[in-house]
Amino acid sequence: MSCRPWLPATLRSSLTWLLVLLLTHGLAQGTVTDDLGRDVTLDVPATRIVSMIPTHTEKVCAIGACDRLVGVDMFSNYPTEVQALPSLGSAFEADVEALVALDPDLVLTDEYSGLHDVLEPLGIAVYVGTPQTVAEVWEVTRDVATLLGLQDEAEALIRDAIARVDALSERVALGNAPSVFVELDPSPYSVGPQSYLGELLTLAGGANVVAAELGAFPLVDPEYIVAQDPDVLLLLDAPFGESADTVRARPGWRALSAVAEGAIIEFTQPQVDLLNRAGPRLPEALELLIDVLEEYRR
Amino acid sequence: MRTGSLAALGVVLLAALAVGSVAVAPGDVLGAIVRGLQGRVEQASDVIVWQVRAPRVLLAAVTGAALALAGSAYQAVFRNPLADPYLLGAASGAGFGAAVTIVYGASVTWLATLGVPTVAFVTALVTVSLAVLMARVGGTLPTVSLILAGVVLGSSLSAGTSFVMLADQERTAGVLAWLLGSFAFANWRDVLVLATILVLAIPAGLAARRAFDLMLVGEASAKQLGLPVERFKWLVVVIATLLTAAAVSVAGVIGFVGLVVPHAVRLAVGPEHRELIPLSILWGAAFLVLADLAARTVLAPAELPVGVVTSLVGGPFFLILLRRSRMRA
Repeated sequence: MSCRPWLPATLRSSLTWLLVLLLTHGLAQGTVTDDLGRDVTLDVPATRIVSMIPTHTEKVCAIGACDRLVGVDMFSNYPTEVQALPSLGSAFEADVEALVALDPDLVLTDEYSGLHDVLEPLGIAVYVGTPQTVAEVWEVTRDVATLLGLQDEAEALIRDAIARVDALSERVALGNAPSVFVELDPSPYSVGPQSYLGELLTLAGGANVVAAELGAFPLVDPEYIVAQDPDVLLLLDAPFGESADTVRARPGWRALSAVAEGAIIEFTQPQVDLLNRAGPRLPEALELLIDVLEEYRR
Repeated sequence: MRTGSLAALGVVLLAALAVGSVAVAPGDVLGAIVRGLQGRVEQASDVIVWQVRAPRVLLAAVTGAALALAGSAYQAVFRNPLADPYLLGAASGAGFGAAVTIVYGASVTWLATLGVPTVAFVTALVTVSLAVLMARVGGTLPTVSLILAGVVLGSSLSAGTSFVMLADQERTAGVLAWLLGSFAFANWRDVLVLATILVLAIPAGLAARRAFDLMLVGEASAKQLGLPVERFKWLVVVIATLLTAAAVSVAGVIGFVGLVVPHAVRLAVGPEHRELIPLSILWGAAFLVLADLAARTVLAPAELPVGVVTSLVGGPFFLILLRRSRMRA
């Protein structure tokens, strides 16, 4: 017996339409789906917001709602005005009592912080999700803006940012890509091209010596780095004491051309924050990378 | 068995020198070793083999030897099959010191100046000394009190390490990688420091082989048979602690080697220390060199933390050994 559809085609398509209609109606303004696939709904735009990770803090401020923040995590330090807000520990070790006492109507945090399990039973809306790629920066910005009722501001911000990224990439079009090793810490952990920082590096015209198949944040064998002999070393661990001197002292690293040429970039803590945080300052982060790689682009 | 094990260690060392995430022709490997021994570094492969890979392989070897020697000594002196070199808190102490240095080194200059290995070495020694002070009754070291003091101090410090790790999430991966152990940036100085301590400890360990056997019979009987038990325990704790602290400070907390290698040797040749001590040293060295070889080649050029390899591979391997020996018995 041949397999016949259990419903006539016309009926099926009208049912599909009905379903779409129901779904879109359910997703009225104020509902977004977060990184754990949960729907977060607010009837009115959030006005008392707690941000537990720096990128969310920066996003809220970038769309012009800094004054709606009532508390932030201990790492949120940009823009400077948020430093005056109550500090609530970290997303993973939050001061829940102090957080609840602030009576927020929306908490923005990381998907692994577990805060939603604690706060939602208390009637506090929680949106989880840390952007991990360039595309996610814009997605999460749109989500947060929807919960704040600031969609137009977010679209303007994103348009402007994308235009700046396009303009910056014209600077990169000239010249050859220098090969680059990005050092997150002296283990040494690095970044693959599919990570946010890896994407930025590619946009900045750098050729990552770490290949995609190693993963987003691989621990890399030092002898491989020595053999790759990157043109430039980017030390994101410079604020923690790594430097051109400590790199030169590593076994075998004196032979690297980046060491011989002095092509070792020691980033400052504010620069590391800028590069690590997948947020609205993406064009600035990209410009910083393009600037430091400028002289090695031949 | 000893000659065979020594030869096997030699083969393992050569294999580990020859293989890595960067392919180097066997001729170039030999050339690099020959030139390196003469103090010459001429071509790119010399840098890879002699400056990066060789210290790494040798540091793994001396670390494995040190941990297995300390482990077999503790298992005898404490007459406890679960004893390992970290029993008295050396690893937790070192881990705490390392975590504090990694996380707060940026703001506390003197910590950064001392560096992770030095701080870890000192905190390991301080922790074990505290355990000994707590457990000491007059001139004696009651074994049970000593183990309890070490375990409790270790737990407290591990909690401290977790706290420090969570205090700065950007450094969490770095601390975790250190805790799981790594030979990634092994250098010749580390190799020489640990090898020197090992060269002093090995004769002591070999000389004490009969004393270890006596301890197995029980402290009271050992005393009757003429062993100055308390003095011997102090000596073992001091030497094993120096070995362990030095190993942990340069390699991180590599689990399993000190616990399981002596057991594996015991399953193979029996409990007498005449064979157990030298074979533990040789097998410990070979095991850790192989574990590091796997750590840096399985996902090459990405790495696995070597501590993960020792436990993942060593655990099932040991269970098979255990099962076989029980079936024979």
